[in-house]
Amino acid sequence: MADRAEFLARVTLSLGRSEVLAPPTDHSTTVFEDADTAKSRADSATNDAAERSSDLLNRLAESADAAGWKVHRARNPEAAAGLVAEICEQKSAGSVLRSSHDVLEEIGTDDAVTNTGATIAVTEHVGETNRGLVEESKQRAFSTDIGITGVDYAVAETGTVVLHPRGGLSRLVSLAPPTHIAVVRPGEVLDSLDELFAMERNSFMSGELAGSMNLISGPSKTADIEGTTVTGIHGPLEVHLIILETG
Amino acid sequence: MKPLTVNFRSKASQTLADAQIQQSIEHVYTGFFQSRLAAAADTPDWEVLRTKGKAIKDHTIAHLDYYLGQLADSVEANGGSVFFAADAVEARKHIIDLAHRREIKTVIKSKSMVSEEMGLAEAMNAEGFETIETDLGEYIIQLANETPYHLIAPAVHKSRADVAKLLDDDFKEGDRIPDASELTMMARKKLRGVFERADMSVTGVNFAVAESGSIALVTNEGNGRMSTSVPRVHVAVMGMEKIVPSIQDLSTMLRILIRSATGQRISTYVTMINGPRKPEEEEGPEEFHLVIMDNGRQKLLEDEQMRESLNCIRCGACLNACPVYRKVGGHAYGWVYPGPIGAIVSPVLTGLKDASNLPAASSLCGACHVACPVKINIPRMLLELRWRTAEGSTDKKERTSSITERGIWKMWRFGMMGRKRFDIGARLSGLALLPFTKNGWLKKAPPPISGWTSTRDFPAIASKSLKSRFGKRDRNSR
Repeated sequence: MADRAEFLARVTLSLGRSEVLAPPTDHSTTVFEDADTAKSRADSATNDAAERSSDLLNRLAESADAAGWKVHRARNPEAAAGLVAEICEQKSAGSVLRSSHDVLEEIGTDDAVTNTGATIAVTEHVGETNRGLVEESKQRAFSTDIGITGVDYAVAETGTVVLHPRGGLSRLVSLAPPTHIAVVRPGEVLDSLDELFAMERNSFMSGELAGSMNLISGPSKTADIEGTTVTGIHGPLEVHLIILETG
Repeated sequence: MKPLTVNFRSKASQTLADAQIQQSIEHVYTGFFQSRLAAAADTPDWEVLRTKGKAIKDHTIAHLDYYLGQLADSVEANGGSVFFAADAVEARKHIIDLAHRREIKTVIKSKSMVSEEMGLAEAMNAEGFETIETDLGEYIIQLANETPYHLIAPAVHKSRADVAKLLDDDFKEGDRIPDASELTMMARKKLRGVFERADMSVTGVNFAVAESGSIALVTNEGNGRMSTSVPRVHVAVMGMEKIVPSIQDLSTMLRILIRSATGQRISTYVTMINGPRKPEEEEGPEEFHLVIMDNGRQKLLEDEQMRESLNCIRCGACLNACPVYRKVGGHAYGWVYPGPIGAIVSPVLTGLKDASNLPAASSLCGACHVACPVKINIPRMLLELRWRTAEGSTDKKERTSSITERGIWKMWRFGMMGRKRFDIGARLSGLALLPFTKNGWLKKAPPPISGWTSTRDFPAIASKSLKSRFGKRDRNSR
């Protein structure tokens, strides 16, 4: 087994040094920001998301469309619920799985879904999980027709929905079902990847980094056969982004 | 993976003679190439991003020992485990032992060039683990029992009919060939079952963040997400150079990687993993293992002329830009990394002696340098390796030029050093070649010039030199 110390000593030697040299913190590229700068960047991103929300929502609508989302705009929660029901009917969904994002309760997702005749399950539970529960939750996600989530953030630059998997937000709800619906609200949209990763860095600095993060930009796709782009290889074949215009 | 770099010439000739492969690869490369140009044009600060990307990589590689130590600490702080592997054999053994200890049955693999270096999938299958490649291109390649053709489009040389034969046992010559969409759905169905039963995953790493112990995975298909959601054990393998210092560096690195690879603004899925699943999560691996492999990279690091090659982020842009790669194809390069970057990395990692044809297979047009998102000066390193091939550099064993070749150059040098010697030499070589000359052309010359004349004619040496003719003309006109 390679010893860590031995491995690293060889790397140091290869760099022509005899001991590890701490890298300069004031590197001229400015990409190595200190904690305070990252924090102020993260704060201004949050303010920005709130103040410029309608501008950011418009840009998100455009970039999400380009990334392959089917983009819908809803003036109010009722309209959003109507869109959810419409998609369920279109896909003749028998079963729906949703995360416990509060926006989904706000728009009355459960009633909208059950009114179409489909069943709805929610990924929520309290306390620690075990192997049996993980297995159960996997089976459920793989056999569900539609997965519905809110978003933790969206990114206007790239048409991206950002989700941090955690208790109440399964990793598979946005991946295993053939259709995924995401609902985004004003104030949740960030300008660019710079803001997103500044906020992640800030979370890390304050000891609150989530276990993982998924950036989702459109439907699963591949171009591995003769360079032809095909939608839906491992993940959803169809993804819908519902933009709720009022908070 | 056993290097077969020595077969470059024969493999290249094979591909050049195969009209079907030439046709299937050309439009894909052109497509990638055009998409990258369009993406760069669409990004107003593209050159700034490239400069930043280069600065991040230069800085990280210059302090690689520090960042590797920091990465290991932070992965462990997140609840993951870290293994440093000196070479592919150690890395492979570690992963196989782990799979035995955890009583693993089915392993899903995401695309990873580092695992190709280990020959991991074959080795795990041989150990009795059902090991399935899940990237569609890699899956096709695995079914065909081949090696990847391109860094990001491994099955680019396979036609729809080839794929149909591999996916459908009942497919016969003459049947209607399914379209790409139908074939993809066939693969989806097959692989869904595999995902459901997988208990271990092996993925690559696009970037590892030293400070936070995160790894970033970029896929369009979603197999990277399946790998980090379903199985109970996740193993991520990386070459030791794939580090960035901070999470914030990812916005720059992802932008240049993805735009250079496929021309997209972002890939469908970017997944960040910061350790095993949290106790209250419903899914996700119970264990996260990071394997950091050297496997010869140390040689690139200590070699100041070649160190820059460790900046590579494996986007494949130099491949699509290279006029030689586009014709001779990926398999000719004989090891994991094809194309211009492969022509500088493979010789150093696997030995220059067998791979001396790789740096020679370039017109030095510089298209790879222009395309590289982190501005790696590939042509400079190709020249450096050619020089080492000729002169042996630090290691005489690496010299592949023959005694005859070196002798000829010595004579040439001697002949060029004096006017008289030059005149006599020119007249003698003209006379020596006279029996092979016809109407002013050498059609079939003796060795070593035969290497040239077997494919094209060589102009015969003129009976009178320019100088003597010029001297006469001068006198006559006066």
